[in-house]
Amino acid sequence: MIFKVIKKEELKHLFDVLAAENRVVGPVEAGRDSNGRPIYAFDQVSDFNNICLDYTTTKISAKRYFLPYQEDLAGFRIDGKDWHKKINYNIESPYIFFGLHACDINALNKLDKVLLGSVYPMPYYAAKRKNMFIIGLDCIPQPYCFCRSMGADTALHGFDMFLTDMGGQYFAEILSDTAFNFLKNIKTAEPAYADRMRYIKIIAEKKRKFTVRVDTTDLANILDMEFQSDVWKQWGEKCLACGTCSQVCPTCYCYGVEETVNINFHEAKKTKMLYSCNLIDFAQVAGGHNFRLKRDARLKYRYYHKHRGFVEAYEESLCVGCGRCGEACLAEITVPAVISSVRGEES
Amino acid sequence: MADLKPVRTYLGMPLYRPKTAFFELSSCEGCQLQLLNNEASLLDFLSLLDIVNFREAMTEKSDEFEIAFIEGSVTRSDEVERLKEIRKTANTLVAFGSCACFGGVNQMKNRLGSEWVKKEVYGDHPVESGFARPLEDIVTVDLKIFGCPIKKKEVEKIIINIALGKAVVHPVYPVCMECKANENICLFDLGEPCLGPITRGGCDSWCPNSRFGCWGCRGPADDANIDQLREIMKKHGFSEETLRDRLECFGGFSKYTEAFRKNPEKKKEGK
Amino acid sequence: MNGKLEFIDILREKEKKYNRQHDFNAFEFTYKAEITTIHKLTQMENLYRVRIIDPEQGKQFSFQPGQFVMLELPGIGEAPFSISSSPLRHGDIELCIRKAGNLTNFLSRVERGTRVGLRGPFGTGFPMEKMEGQNILLIAGGLGLAPLRSAIAYVQANRSRFNTVDIIYGTKDPSQLLFAYQYDVWRADDITLSIIVEEPDTAWKGPAGLITKILEDLFRKKDKTFFKNTYAIVCGPPVMFKFVCTMLSQKDIPMQKMFVSLERRMHCGMGKCCRCNVGSTYTCLKGPVFDYWTVMNLKEAI
Repeated sequence: MIFKVIKKEELKHLFDVLAAENRVVGPVEAGRDSNGRPIYAFDQVSDFNNICLDYTTTKISAKRYFLPYQEDLAGFRIDGKDWHKKINYNIESPYIFFGLHACDINALNKLDKVLLGSVYPMPYYAAKRKNMFIIGLDCIPQPYCFCRSMGADTALHGFDMFLTDMGGQYFAEILSDTAFNFLKNIKTAEPAYADRMRYIKIIAEKKRKFTVRVDTTDLANILDMEFQSDVWKQWGEKCLACGTCSQVCPTCYCYGVEETVNINFHEAKKTKMLYSCNLIDFAQVAGGHNFRLKRDARLKYRYYHKHRGFVEAYEESLCVGCGRCGEACLAEITVPAVISSVRGEES
Repeated sequence: MADLKPVRTYLGMPLYRPKTAFFELSSCEGCQLQLLNNEASLLDFLSLLDIVNFREAMTEKSDEFEIAFIEGSVTRSDEVERLKEIRKTANTLVAFGSCACFGGVNQMKNRLGSEWVKKEVYGDHPVESGFARPLEDIVTVDLKIFGCPIKKKEVEKIIINIALGKAVVHPVYPVCMECKANENICLFDLGEPCLGPITRGGCDSWCPNSRFGCWGCRGPADDANIDQLREIMKKHGFSEETLRDRLECFGGFSKYTEAFRKNPEKKKEGK
Repeated sequence: MNGKLEFIDILREKEKKYNRQHDFNAFEFTYKAEITTIHKLTQMENLYRVRIIDPEQGKQFSFQPGQFVMLELPGIGEAPFSISSSPLRHGDIELCIRKAGNLTNFLSRVERGTRVGLRGPFGTGFPMEKMEGQNILLIAGGLGLAPLRSAIAYVQANRSRFNTVDIIYGTKDPSQLLFAYQYDVWRADDITLSIIVEEPDTAWKGPAGLITKILEDLFRKKDKTFFKNTYAIVCGPPVMFKFVCTMLSQKDIPMQKMFVSLERRMHCGMGKCCRCNVGSTYTCLKGPVFDYWTVMNLKEAI
């Protein structure tokens, strides 16, 4: 890895160079909540000053840029009893992601495993993922962040360049030659000994700021053992079965497919819609039988998939600890609380 | 308007082009108007149906039809009779919009005392107007199209499905799914009450998109957890009345609101 | 100063005409196929013969008994169906389909010559080669005979490689019996066929009751060595295979020598949509055919 230090005022130049010829997505303030606190979102930006580099966590992940909530998988032209299928991966030009936190980069790395690394890689995701240039950005742990427990507080790969705020300058990790070449457009310097020591100190300080932890020791087994536990029923009673947790999650990728005919009856399409395993018909088969009719069975399945199934397949969980699901859940169902209850700990 | 276009096919199968009639009972006729508003695909849409009766769009009419779309709730005895007559003719009776499905905004008056309402609305010239009731209180309803007003896109999809012989399925999930996909800020974060978590989706979170909390016009989602929303509303500082006003606005939650009225401060201990 | 990112076309260097598991284009790769015949089996089920139109592609398409395809009618829907025909025939398959939803209802109305999309074959099959030299119990309840018929065809084509072969088949009533026209042919190939119905009509001459009853009768005729050298394939509703597999277990047939086929909702068939997950196992990748030991260890499978 190549390391550089970049003066803060240089970052704007980098942005201008990139934004001049590419689409740039970054964290922006989408509004304020009723207490006057900013609400952040990822959106397309053309002005560096609109990017909130000190953002906490966006309410909703950057998912729509690589797993759109709704996406056409194929279109058809109908011709009598025959038809022609047309496939489009729905991206024409690359995106620059300016300021993704480590958890969100790790979320992409996890998705890569199932959507790119297994049999039948998903071209719709691949086309978007491979056309993303990612500038990572360090962050300050929030009261709901448990990324450290999930091993997702630092990103080792899956980005082009990662910036850590060191006061007047950024410490930059350069991972791709594309990033290396882009940096030729601005002034950078080799990190001096003092810079490196300061970086190490900042990272150590960050670790101390985490307030919430999830004990993942033997979790995959415990989830299996406690499959019949009564705590699931309690969470199921609270659950709104509204799908919000999955929608805001950076790693939830489950979906449904629907085929529709155009009103002119000459065209049809096959549309993918991100779905949530907490919705009542997620496991319902044609003919009506529902394998997970009860809310608690569905909520349990979500945890089971993320913290056991994915672990069995890839030796890591499908959760980065960003805390978005718990923050968005009106019923206040949070991952740390659920897991601690399954472990039989007093809450 | 009949037989504008020849019978068409899809994958070799002839499309079903039913003789269709639109009727309105006590309503604002806004749902029918929504259909006609859709200029871009209006002709395509109309060509799918053999419309024999549509007061808002045509003058000639016929009493022979296979599908009847009925907007509005039932409030008068002559409407009861009319509805029964329509049912006799129609193979498929569609409750069109929230008034027809649940009583809609009209049913709010059911709780206000009919004499008082009559006086407020009609002054010294009273007309007959009883309780506002949904169609299924009187006749069997084959299909419900929710919404106040209905969503044009959704109705188009339903008509396409009818032409194809495909079953009509409504979203079973609540508005939150679509609201999150639209990346709206949660109304609760903005300090506003919202029935999105319990109300059937399909509206593409029409109201929350304009930062306007959901009033539940489509009735409950398939697995609506109303008890939990009640606690959430309380926690966010909204009174029981605020919740009840919303739940009772369109009549879709009447089963639950009756229970609320019987048991206003139901204790939920041990949770 | 250059800050323009180059667009990467993920299919740039790929061959686009093949259907290989690791190619991006395999994801929505559809064989175009034609419904060549439609045979009404019962009130609810039709047998569709579906042939891949391109002969080259047809040759590529081979499968094992127990595997499934995703069948698509554009604009109407796509769903998984287990293949019901002989694996010896490539690119020309038979699907036994019950009217249950939008797609299957539409299918029941279409005419011969309609073009459909086929993706697959997907999932695991019955390990027929492993079973060679052994006795085979083929046990089906209701529509479970559909995937089993492919295994039967395999056995017929390789009859000398198997020891005794018993088909035990149960349905609700005689009108629901599938593939009745084939029973004599199966018997002619030295396969024992026992049929039981739950609700007999006046014309019914065979036994009446649950499938377990006929199994008890059969087991009485068999000795210990029989069970030691037996494989079983059980297809049907979960309640049925649970009871049947428990009975087989009591006869000391190892659970790893019993195979069942699970039915789940599927939207992709390729381990992505998660709709078919049992616990957190993809039925479409690790199944639909599982040995019973695995099924016992899957949460919420039965």
